[in-house]
Amino acid sequence: MDALSVDNLCVTVSGRHLLENITFSVKQGRVVAIIGPNGAGKTTLVRAILGLIPYQQGSVLIYGLPAGDGELSSRVGYVPQKLEFDRSFPLTVSELLHFTVPPAFSFPFHKRKHEDEHIVRLLEIVGAQDLKDRNIGGLSGGELQRVMIAKAIVNDPGILFLDEPSSGVDIEGQERFHDLVMRLNKEHDLTVILISHDLNVVYRFADDVLCLNRKLVCSGKPAETLTDEVIKSIYGEMMGGYIHSCHDHD
Amino acid sequence: MTMISEYISYPFIQRALIASVMVGILCPFIGNFVVLRRMSFFSDAISHSAFAGIAVGALLGIDLSMSSILMAVIISFVIAFLSERTSLSHDTVIGVAFSGSIASGMLIMGMMKGYRADLFSYLFGDILAITQRDLYIILSVAILAIVTMLVFFKSFLQITFNRELARVEGINVRLFEYLLFFIIAIVVTVSLKIVGIILVTSLIIVPAAAAKNVASNMRQLFSFSSLFGVLSGIAGLAGSVYLDTASGPTIVMISIGIFILTLFRGRAV
Repeated sequence: MDALSVDNLCVTVSGRHLLENITFSVKQGRVVAIIGPNGAGKTTLVRAILGLIPYQQGSVLIYGLPAGDGELSSRVGYVPQKLEFDRSFPLTVSELLHFTVPPAFSFPFHKRKHEDEHIVRLLEIVGAQDLKDRNIGGLSGGELQRVMIAKAIVNDPGILFLDEPSSGVDIEGQERFHDLVMRLNKEHDLTVILISHDLNVVYRFADDVLCLNRKLVCSGKPAETLTDEVIKSIYGEMMGGYIHSCHDHD
Repeated sequence: MTMISEYISYPFIQRALIASVMVGILCPFIGNFVVLRRMSFFSDAISHSAFAGIAVGALLGIDLSMSSILMAVIISFVIAFLSERTSLSHDTVIGVAFSGSIASGMLIMGMMKGYRADLFSYLFGDILAITQRDLYIILSVAILAIVTMLVFFKSFLQITFNRELARVEGINVRLFEYLLFFIIAIVVTVSLKIVGIILVTSLIIVPAAAAKNVASNMRQLFSFSSLFGVLSGIAGLAGSVYLDTASGPTIVMISIGIFILTLFRGRAV
C-alpha cells in the first residue's frame, strides 16, 4: 500500500483554481520534495492532503485512509511553514511535548515516568536535549524547528510533512535540520514530504520531486526530472542555469 | 483581631468569603485560556449578553440565573458560528453581539413597568448579597468547569497553542472550542453577582494576565493565577468591609494592583 495517494485533486477558493487535477503517489520510506514558484499551490497541496482545507474534487488517501480519519492522527506528523503562536506563552519544551503524548485525556500536570523518558529520547533524537526546560517563546528559529520535529514524531508517525521547514534558519541550522530529517528517514523508515525552494536541498536529499505550478508540471527523480527546460518553465529564464551549478556542486 | 472575628461570625460575610475563594480559583483558571487565546473581548461580550438574558428572564418571570446562563451560552455559540462560517472578523462579530446584547437588554428593561432595583444590581454586583443558593450554583459550575478543563486539558492546550497542529494531531478543534465557549459563558454568568456585568471580565482576565507576567511554565501559570484570584477576592472583600467601599470594584482594584506589581517583576525561573 502507498503511504500517500493523491488522485485528481482540485482545490478552488472563491472561484480561483489553486490546484487542478493533481495525481501522484508516494511509497513508504521515500523522501519527496515539492517545488514550484511562489503561489504555485505547494502549501495548499499539503494543507489539502492533511484535511486543513477542503477540496472540491478528487481523493486523498494516507495509508489507505481518507484525510481527517481519526486513526491517521498518530501516523502523520506535520511541521508548518510558519508556526503562529503567542511568543509570551509560558510553556516549556518539555510541557509542549508532554501535552502531545497520548492519552489525550489525563491529568495535565501528572507526568508519568515513561512519558518523561519518551520526551527525553525524542529530544535526544532531534539533538535538543538541552532545550527541555527552555521556554518555547525564547527559542531561536533552528531550535524551534528541531522541537517541532520532536513534536511531530511524538507518536512515531509513518509520514512527515515539512512545509519549508528551514526558512528563516541560518545555513548551519539548515544543514543540521536536513541531516536530522534524513537520519529519521533512514533509521525510522519515515516517509518525508518536503516543500522546498532550495533546489540544492532537492538534489541532495530527495528521492523524488514533484514540480508544481497549480498543476503537476513534472515528477520523478530530481536528476532526471529537473532539466533546464523544466526549471525555466517553472521559475523563468533567470533560473535556467541553476541546474548546471547544482550538478557541479554535487 | 476582635473586629475580624466579629465580621467573620456574620453568615453573609462567611458566604462572601467562600464565594470569593471559589470564584478566585475558577475565574483565573478559565481566564488562562482566555488570555492565551486573546479572547478578552469575547468574555466581555458574554457578560453583556448575560444582561440581555437577565432582562428577558425578568420580562418572562423566569429564574434570572437560568435565563442569563442560557442567553450567554446562545450568544457565545452565535459568535463562534458566525466567526467560523462568515468572512466577518472575530472581533467584528463580538462587537455586534456586545452592543446588540446591551441594547436589547436596556430596551426590554425599559418596557417593564416600575423600577427593578434587583436587575440593576447585576450591573455592579454585590458579593455581600450572595445567598446559600448562589453558593451552590457557583460550586456546581466550578466543579463542572474545572473537572472538564482538567480532563481535556491536553486538547484545550494544544488548540490554544496552534489550532492547525491540533487538527492534524486528531483533536476535534470545533467541538473543544464550543465546549470552551460554553464553559466561559457559564463561568462569566455565575460570577456576575460578585462584581457585576461591567467588571466580571476583570475577574477572568486580570489574575491570569498577572500570572502570565511572572510564570515560566504552565504549572506556575495555573498556580499563580489562582493564588492571585483568591488573594484579590479575600483582600478586596476585607478592604471593602474595612474601608466601607463597594466590594466589586475593591476586589478588581486589588487584582489590578497585583497585575501592576507583576509588571515590574521578571518571569520566575
